Order: sequence, then structure tokens, then C-alpha cells
Amino acid sequence: MTTSTVPLPPATQPKQRRIDRRKLTGTLLISPWLIGLLLFKLLPILASLGISFTNFHMLNPGETRFTGLDNYVRLLHDETVGYVVFQTIAMALTSIPLQLVASIGLAAILASRRLKWPGFLRTMFFVPSIIPSVAILFMWFGFLDPNTGWLNRFILEPLGLMGTGGIYSDAARRLVFSLNSLWAIGPGMLIMLGAMQGIPREIEESARVDGAGPFYRLFSITLPMISPAIFFALVINLISAFGGVLLLDRGNVFSGSQSPFDDYISHQMFSQFDLGYATALAWAFLVLVLLVIIFLFSTSRKWVHYEDLGR
Amino acid sequence: MTTSTRDRRPLAPQRLVPLQLWERFGTLLVNVLVIGLLIVYLFPMVYMVATSLMASQQLGDRYAPPYPAQPVTIEYEGKTRKLLQVPFEDGVRELALVKPGPRASEFIDPEHPEEGLIPWQGSWRALPGVYRFHLTWDNFSTLFKSVRFPEMIRNTLLAGLITTVAVLVSSLIVAYGFARYPLPGGNLLFFVLIATLLIPEKVTLIPTYFFFVRVLNWNGSWLPIVLPFFFGSALYIFLLRQNFRSIPIEIEEAAMLDGAGPLRTLFSVVIPQSWPVIITITLLNFFFIWNETRQAALYLSTRRDLVPVSFGIQNFQSLSPTQNLLQASALIILLVPILVLLLTQKHFMRNLVITGTER
Repeated sequence: MTTSTVPLPPATQPKQRRIDRRKLTGTLLISPWLIGLLLFKLLPILASLGISFTNFHMLNPGETRFTGLDNYVRLLHDETVGYVVFQTIAMALTSIPLQLVASIGLAAILASRRLKWPGFLRTMFFVPSIIPSVAILFMWFGFLDPNTGWLNRFILEPLGLMGTGGIYSDAARRLVFSLNSLWAIGPGMLIMLGAMQGIPREIEESARVDGAGPFYRLFSITLPMISPAIFFALVINLISAFGGVLLLDRGNVFSGSQSPFDDYISHQMFSQFDLGYATALAWAFLVLVLLVIIFLFSTSRKWVHYEDLGR
Repeated sequence: MTTSTRDRRPLAPQRLVPLQLWERFGTLLVNVLVIGLLIVYLFPMVYMVATSLMASQQLGDRYAPPYPAQPVTIEYEGKTRKLLQVPFEDGVRELALVKPGPRASEFIDPEHPEEGLIPWQGSWRALPGVYRFHLTWDNFSTLFKSVRFPEMIRNTLLAGLITTVAVLVSSLIVAYGFARYPLPGGNLLFFVLIATLLIPEKVTLIPTYFFFVRVLNWNGSWLPIVLPFFFGSALYIFLLRQNFRSIPIEIEEAAMLDGAGPLRTLFSVVIPQSWPVIITITLLNFFFIWNETRQAALYLSTRRDLVPVSFGIQNFQSLSPTQNLLQASALIILLVPILVLLLTQKHFMRNLVITGTER
């Protein structure tokens, strides 16, 4: 955008030369990032692609040779791949709606002008989102312990429900995963809260005067007006569900339950040392993530209302 | 709802809660709801705090209370005796076990020892003990002896300082370029910047690791972890660019007219107006480094003296400590980020909101 750039003063300079000079300055300014992009993203990604066409194995690197599409053919016939893709998508489909609904609901209550100590309460709800995953893992480990944990003792058994068999059982894993995804809604909640507070007060007041109750106002005014924030939070949650960078990265001890596909890649890398196959899996994962993101952005025009946001 | 209110407000849509009732009790309802939700939300943390203050023997006892407590004992005939809750027909009495037996035992009442031995039928092992509230701080001293905290915290703080300065300086310069200058390819480079956030870590892992460890021989070193911070972080660049674009451009133009170059303008005009977002990024980066375990596991597993705090605690688990020690270790590494958040809450909470919503 030309309106937001600094125009250089001398009118004697030809316009084209001036723009070229400014482009050069801009390129120089962003050059640290460009070098980093080349060194830590583009070259490794291309090298990864190269490795994925070989049988590179940590234990006998001397025997590495070009194997063409063998790894990708193997990937298509690997039953575990189908299973982990299904699991990853299933987990994303349960955790993301859960996170979105929870963060919108929480933001709606925390945005209320009736709230006492709003700053303190918002911070307390944000606390679980910043604590290290190691601490969270230990905590769930103890909380779900079949003998000494509190889940069986104070929640499941008094309710007459069967206890879980500890953190390694399937039920407990699923429970930890959903609870843990609820413990990461802080940034999403703040984004929604900011958007809700950005809604002009007159709109809400006039709806109130017309007799609209709090629930009616939430669904007919607040939600449509914060749709850009919902979209932003959706993208963040989606990226974290697929093992990418989070807005608040707490370190990924939970990667196993966060994204089973990511876990399977780790297994091939660090337990099987089958690096050729592992990089092929990683590349397939990259393509999957990109497809999901492209799909999301292409549908966003239909339901995200940018022009409505008072800016 | 009476007809008169309907007449006054003909446009009123259907509602779940009558409006007047909501106006009156809404405040109470909202606050009770929020505080109730908060208690449920943070409930597992209560478990962590309580367990970290328990002695090991309380963990093994099914009948022990959930709060940190100590079994009550008395001295009787030169021996220490445990107090148990013994049920009788007229109620439960707190008695000291004197002669334990498999089917019947004999007790004494510590309040009235003159009554003599009280016989009771049944297995004393099934009787819940008597506990009194007591905080056990030993877990923390045991932990400080077995884990090298000062060293780990020093490593973490040093890494935090270096990476924060590096990532801030580089991200500020890059973000300024993105915010104020035309770039070759128009918006394409900015889309690339956002796209790099979406790249799964595993795609770049193997080549990067081999380059650092096999080519540069940087195994057991912080260098591979710290180096990428000198080239900016896509997320921080994004947040800074959004912030820069919301600053009016006139002062920068004036500085440029006075002959200041882009870097000089950035550091003397733009940065003084951007402290809130800079502080937010500093905090984000601090939380990131404090929680870091993945890179440390890759590059630092051979050097015990260099590990950062979260990774050190993660290693502590491999010693299979008892549950109370484990919870104490979790509590220690969780306390620091929480304290930092509470101290900076006004700033952090507000600025993350602002930086997040503006497109």
C-alpha cells in the first residue's frame, strides 16, 4: 500500500527510481528474516524432500541410495498412516469446536460489564495457558493415577462411575487430551474478548432498548461481529492441533496426544531411525496441513465479515 | 410476563430470561457463575498444590484426607500409637490402637485412659486413621538436593536474555521493513511469512539437526537453539508489523525529512511508541524459553550442566520419584510463569488482545 509508506522528499528524483530505492531499503530491512527463511526453512524443507526419495537410515548411512518414490508408495500402503491420519482429524474435530465454544462462552461472560474484578478473573482463566507442559503432564499423571489420583477418588467413584485405569489407558488419554485442549484456550479467549469489547456500545444498547435479552444479543449481534476473531482463533487452534507453532508455545510433551500423525513421524525418526521414510511422512503431513489451511481460507469469505468491524 | 410490558415493547423478541429479572439478578448470577467456573477450571491445580505438601505415607493411605495432613499419634506405655476412627453403635470414636489383632483389637481412649482397654471386633486395617492438617515442606528440600536448580535456572535465564534481545532486535527491523516499505513481489513475502508459521516442525528437523550436529559439530551446545532467534520470529514480526501500521506516520516522515535513515527512525521514533507490544513479545519469549524442552532434548541431552529448567524437571521424572515429589517439582516450574503473569497482567492481557485482533 503506497499510502502507508514514507514518501521520500526530493521531487527531482524520477518516481520509478525512488520506488526502486525504497524497495531496496525494504529488502535490506527484512534481509535478516530472508536469510533465516533460506537457512532454517527453505533449504531444510528442500533437503527433506531430497531425503524422502532415499533410504537414508541412521544406523547405516553408508548404504544410502536414491529409491525414487518408494517411501511414498510405502506410505500409501502403511495401515498405520491411515489410522493416524484418521486419529489426527478426529482429535482436531473434537478439540477445536470444544476450544472455540469454550473460549467464546468464557469471553462472553468475562466481557460482561457486571463482572467484579474483571482483570483478576481474566488473568486467572489465562493462567493454565502459560504453564509448562511438563508441569501439566506431571499434574495429569498424578490426578489420573488409579490409586492416589483424585479423579477416581473424588469424581468418578462418588458418582458411581467406573474409574479410569491410569494415564496410560485409552479413556484417560482421551480425557487428558480434551481437558488439556481446554487448558490452552487463553489466547483464543483473549482474542474473542478483545473483539467483543470492540463492538460499538450503541449497537448493543439499541438492541437492549428494543428488548433483546443477553442470549439473543450474543447470537444476533456479538457472534456475527466477532467473526474475524473466531476465524483467527480457528486458524491458531488448527495449527496447534496439527503440531505447528502455537501463539503461546508451552513445549510439546503432549505431542503424542496432540497429533498422532506427528507422533508417528517421531516414532519413525527417533525409534526406528528410518529417516528416509520419516521425512516422506513429514512431507505428506505438510501437504495435508496446507490443504486444510487453503480449504479454510477459501471458505472464510462466506462467513467472516471484515467490513462490519468498526475500524 | 404481563400484557402491559408487551404493550410497552412491541418489538421485543422471544427471550429465555425475562428482562427485568435479568436486570436485577444478572450481576449476582454472572459473578457466581464465573467464580464457580474458575474453581472447576483450576481444580487439578488444587490437587497438585495439596499433594506437593503431603508426606509420602499419606499417599499410600486410601482413607487419608485430600488436604495435606499428618496421622495423629499418642504416647502410651512408652510406645507411639496411631489414632484410628473406630465405629461403635453409639457413634465413631477416635481411639489409639494398643493390641492389634486380625479379627479383634483393643484400643484406648486418649482422653480417658483411666477407662482401660476397649475391645472392638473387626479388622483394624480397614479403619480410617485420624488426621490433622499439617504442611510437609520436606518435598521441596529433597527436590532441591536431587535437582540442580540454581544451575538450571541460570541456564534458562541466560538463554532467555540472549534470545529475547536477539529476536527483538531482528524482528523489530524486519517488521519495520514489512510495515513501511514496498517490497519486491508486493504482499507475497508477507504471505510467505505467515505460511512459515504453518510448517510442521518435523519437515525441517532432520536436515537442520544433521547440519548443526554433523557439519558444525554443535552437539551439547546452546548454539543451535539460540542461532535461529537472530533471524527474527515470524509470529513476533507479524505482531510488530500490525502494531507499527497502527501508528500515525507523520512523525516518521518528519524524522526522514530531517535526514534520519530507516534504522535511526525506527529506533528513535517508532520504538518509543511501541513499548507495550515490545513488552508483550518479551513476555511471550520468556514463557517460550521457560517451557522449552524439545530443542533441549535434541541438542543438550549429553550435557547435564547446560540443561534449562523445564527439561531438567522432565529428566527428573525418569528417577521415578513419588507422587508428592513429582507434584512439588511441577509446582516449582509452574510458579515462575504464573508469578510473572500476575505481576504483568495489566500489560500482557491488554496487549495480547490488541495485537491479536487487528488485521
